[in-house]
Amino acid sequence: MTSSITVQPSVMGDPALLTIIANRLETIVREMINTLLRTSCSGVLNTARDFSCAILTRDNRLLVFAESLPIHVAAIELEGRVMSDFHGDTLAPGDAFINNSPYHGGTHHADHTILVPVFWRDEHVMTVCAKAHQADTGNAKPTTYAPASLDIYDEGSVSLPCVRIQRDYHDDDDLVRICRQRIRVPDQWYGDYLAALGAVRVGERALTELFAKYGSGTVAEFVEDWFDYSERRMVSELSQLPAGSWGGDGRHDPFPGVPEGIPLQAKVSIDADAPRVTVDLRDNIDNVPCGLNLSEATARAAALIGVFNGLDPDIPINGGSLRRVDVLLRTGSVAGIPEHPVSCSSATTNVADRLVNLVSSTMATIRPAYGQAEGGLGTPASRAVISGEDPRRQGARYINQMFLGNTGGPATSDCDGWVTFIVPVSGGFCYRDSVEVDEQKYPIHVRSVTVIPDSGGGGRLQGGPGTLVEFGPATEAPLRVIYASDGHHYPARGVLGGLDGRAASVELIDADGRVTPAPLVADLHLHEGERIRAGTCGGGGYGDPAERSHDRVREDVEEGLISLEYATRVYGFIAGASSPERQELAL
Amino acid sequence: MAAASDQTTETYRVACDVGGTFTDLAVLSSDGRLSVFKAPTTTGDQGLGGIDAAIGLAVDEMAAAGVDLPARTSVFVHATTRPLNAILQGQTASTAFITTRGHPDILFLREGGRTSFRRHIAYPRPYVPRRLTFELPERIGAQGDVLEALDEEAARAVLEDVAQAGVEAIAVCLLWSVVNPEHELLLARMIEEVLPGVPFSLSHRVNPIIREYRRASATAIDASLKPLISRYLGEFERCLRGRGFHAELLCASCTGTMLPVADVATAPIHTVQSGPALAPLAAVKVAARSDEAADSLIVLDVGGTSSDVTVVRGGALPLTSEFWLGARFSGHMLGLPAVDVQSIGAGGGSIAWLDSGGLLRVGPQSAGASPGPVCYGAGGVEPTVTDAALVLGYLNPEYFLGGRMELDAHAALDVIERRLAQPLEVDAVTAADAVLAVAVQQMTDAIEESTVSQGLDPREAVIVAGGGAAGFAIDAVARELGVSTVLVGRAAPALAAYGGSVSPLARDFRRSHMTSTATFDFAGVDAVLQALTHEAEAFLADRTDEPGTRELEWFVGARYGHQRWEVEVPLPEPRLHTDADVAALVERFHTAHERLYAIKDPNQLVEFITWRVRASHISPAARQSSARTGDISPPRTGTRMAYFRGHGRLDTPVIGGAALKPGRRLEGPLLVEEPATTIVVSPGSALEVGRSGELHLSVGTGVQHQRFSSPPQQVTRSR
Repeated sequence: MTSSITVQPSVMGDPALLTIIANRLETIVREMINTLLRTSCSGVLNTARDFSCAILTRDNRLLVFAESLPIHVAAIELEGRVMSDFHGDTLAPGDAFINNSPYHGGTHHADHTILVPVFWRDEHVMTVCAKAHQADTGNAKPTTYAPASLDIYDEGSVSLPCVRIQRDYHDDDDLVRICRQRIRVPDQWYGDYLAALGAVRVGERALTELFAKYGSGTVAEFVEDWFDYSERRMVSELSQLPAGSWGGDGRHDPFPGVPEGIPLQAKVSIDADAPRVTVDLRDNIDNVPCGLNLSEATARAAALIGVFNGLDPDIPINGGSLRRVDVLLRTGSVAGIPEHPVSCSSATTNVADRLVNLVSSTMATIRPAYGQAEGGLGTPASRAVISGEDPRRQGARYINQMFLGNTGGPATSDCDGWVTFIVPVSGGFCYRDSVEVDEQKYPIHVRSVTVIPDSGGGGRLQGGPGTLVEFGPATEAPLRVIYASDGHHYPARGVLGGLDGRAASVELIDADGRVTPAPLVADLHLHEGERIRAGTCGGGGYGDPAERSHDRVREDVEEGLISLEYATRVYGFIAGASSPERQELAL
Repeated sequence: MAAASDQTTETYRVACDVGGTFTDLAVLSSDGRLSVFKAPTTTGDQGLGGIDAAIGLAVDEMAAAGVDLPARTSVFVHATTRPLNAILQGQTASTAFITTRGHPDILFLREGGRTSFRRHIAYPRPYVPRRLTFELPERIGAQGDVLEALDEEAARAVLEDVAQAGVEAIAVCLLWSVVNPEHELLLARMIEEVLPGVPFSLSHRVNPIIREYRRASATAIDASLKPLISRYLGEFERCLRGRGFHAELLCASCTGTMLPVADVATAPIHTVQSGPALAPLAAVKVAARSDEAADSLIVLDVGGTSSDVTVVRGGALPLTSEFWLGARFSGHMLGLPAVDVQSIGAGGGSIAWLDSGGLLRVGPQSAGASPGPVCYGAGGVEPTVTDAALVLGYLNPEYFLGGRMELDAHAALDVIERRLAQPLEVDAVTAADAVLAVAVQQMTDAIEESTVSQGLDPREAVIVAGGGAAGFAIDAVARELGVSTVLVGRAAPALAAYGGSVSPLARDFRRSHMTSTATFDFAGVDAVLQALTHEAEAFLADRTDEPGTRELEWFVGARYGHQRWEVEVPLPEPRLHTDADVAALVERFHTAHERLYAIKDPNQLVEFITWRVRASHISPAARQSSARTGDISPPRTGTRMAYFRGHGRLDTPVIGGAALKPGRRLEGPLLVEEPATTIVVSPGSALEVGRSGELHLSVGTGVQHQRFSSPPQQVTRSR
């Protein structure tokens, strides 16, 4: 609905083809996602949807991802590069590679990426990727997040630096046996591997059809035209931003190995002439002796998510728009490029979430009309990895990450915070578990799942609320619960006058009902009658609370999302008074 | 039944489908003749005016042919949009939601998920507000064990609070009620006592599945419709009786079947989304009556604002338990299995526009019926797919809707020129062709997604087309997909109404009972199957004196041990008594899983979750329908300049649908003009008229579709 567009280079002068092939590629990725969702075995995939799919160009530029977790895919081209570096000379149809190495473009050891080079007429033309968070990856402890690990040896995960797992469409049985030896509940892992493999093979088949239909020349032209289009969108967007540099800082909660927490810095610079945007993360501390270090992929992806959170949501994120963004990282930094054997076991969440928040809120400062506050943080006990033996199934072992608690989403320039946000890196894509399915699958009893009143940060737009979840073992068998929660000391901050969200909380309740504080980073064995109660962070507010509409405040009070006391204190709400808007209308 | 006043002995089945623009009426005689009537849909009166007008048209025309339609109608089927509109417009009853203590936010927190991680989409409000949500002290565990007994005194206090809130309906969803319904049943007795006359719905009855959000959502929707559906059906029935009809009234359901009014009143949720579910059913009939021996059908129904896609394999309508009312993740989940109709925002009224990077896009905004496309001359200012079709010469400006509306060809050309062609630096025809190509691609993508999710290669399928705007697109869609045949039944412009006239009377009975191959619970499963079969037989018992076939079918939802999503597998009979019976069932599950997902895992444990029995009563007329239609449009002939991709503008023959007699074959390029649609036949395609008058469009005759051998997809476990 815009006019006066004159520049329109497109695929061979056919104005429809650019749209058509772009839509087709997105459909292919959605088909991959659907395949993985329906066929995977572990709850973290088939219920929580903690996986992503993407397509790379032959020279490893990000071409398309759809409905995927941004932390998984925004820098997934790094893995394609590693595949080319290691195997570029020997790539063949029927190959599949598996990568989870944080030193080789991987996000963290728990995310297993399957990469398949797609061939058309004996030529490597594109690469399809499926990245899935595993229920277990063979860590020393039964968790896929081992934030207390001193290094990779302490983590103990099976580490797969982009190795060939299929040749000529057949598994490398030796490699599969290595993985099965180390990973808990190996059938579950293998089933999930098959699901991811099925997804990339579906993508491979569909892409081959695309090449058969249009020919490699047209597709190659499409790629460049599509990147040019995306870059144009980016240029017109960035040219609306003011020039300058903005610094932001934040801090991750104290943790084992980092008693003061982890201070974080990000400098966002807008060069209005180029135009381009640069995120400089080099001024951060060195790697820390625990699993909170970012991998290169997550440091880069977190910065990119932050940038795009402040831009027009319609701009595609791909190799074209990314030509206008620089992310500067330092080797050996906690938010930079880690070197072996630094542990990055929790690289996709804790510090990455902080970084997304930091860059997003900085972008909001740069352009107040268009941005978001900080989102709720942490991997709370209500999203713990649980494990044990199930007496209802003759003692069968189980391990999986639960997805019961959500943190509140950030208030944005347009909306109150998204309620089922989960964490900033996932942006709300992940699903929540059904209490009934969890209780059927695992011997747990979920006593309550409720929204916490007054937990979203106040503002013209209000942060999303946190949730309170209480659960424990359902049987006499002990329930092992491992989690590493953030957001207790430093909650999600509001922006532009918006208030901070509620901080996280976690408590233990013993069989007699006594409540004691629980550790923020824990490996617990809960016994019959014992429970854990975790409250998640609320999201930060956006803009001055005084500007919030009275009707919305009243509705939130009526709905029990905020108390009357909170409404009065934060919004100056007077029960029974008609709203200022209504008064104006009456005049 | 009323005494016959005319000379014939035929009886009629009449079906009514209320769409956004038109209300369609299909009249099917017992010897298989079909007539279709259309009247503009009315708003503000629940659509009853439009229904009455359509009935009036039918009655008058049949009377002119000497048929007393009201007296001769044996069954009247109604696919109503009233419940769906009420939900989308927030006009349902004020409803209380009663649930297990500690779990008040089931409807608010839902199942998560989002289509974009960016900031511009608001989080949806819960179907029942939190202020009308009430927590009940009680808890049943996963095994059906009572962890906390229902405290009757506390329950009474809760119900008094509910009474205070002044609600018009009550939805009850307690955790694990599907395994042990004791507490829901006890509460039901108390509601009848404390709040007599207030309609309520119990989750284990409405939707007996585990996954509390889906069950709760279905229950809340059901309860909220109860006061409204009774009123509406009462008024509808009065309208019908006023016209002299005394036929039995049946309502279409979201599974493509018909239900007696009594069943609808107790479970109105079944009528939500009933219209779209009937088009696939009609398509199955169209295909069955043609000579196409296709096992797989792609049903493409293209309307003014959207297109509906359904993939039907082996004649069985696909069901999904993830049907969204409104946008995915922002609307409400129906929760109940419904015919899997994928709807995309590409229809005749979809708007074509250029984004700030100069990319051509079509939809999702639509000009709808009002103001409509620019060529309607009713105030539309944005170019639409219909305007593009007019510029390409596909539409006859003087014969739109059978000549009832004149199209402004100049305005369409002008808007395509200004808004698209000039900025794109191409001529208007190229721009119009691009608009149509993008719309076609959107339909193609939707079909691809549906076929992939059902493990089907679209090239093995036949497309069955319906809807007024399908004619522009189907030739191109078929080419894109490599589908060689498209069927256009004579009922195509009113596919859903036709579906209603041939739909079987049927109802599903379900129960959750989990067991697995590790320790198969023979006794438990037998008890469930017997109980369900008993319920199903009771449903059919009322129909014993009517002609027709009575059928029972059994199914179970199964999955591999670690999976969470089930695949439904038919049971040939309700008996699983031996290990061999179970082994045969497991084998069927492996086969079904492999067909859907290209993988199977023969060594894995298999779990069985939800058991279903479908009871059907199929009348002889529904079986025999041949969908012949008395076409009243005058034959038209002549030529018109029309543009075809790859060929340019061609002087194209135009033929009226009435001129197409069975057996006739015509080569493209060709335009077939019917009152409610125009079918575009490209050069290289051919059209043949089948024995029921249906059109067989063969695309790409003489053109080899490039096929290649896929990489091996079969992955079986090796250890």
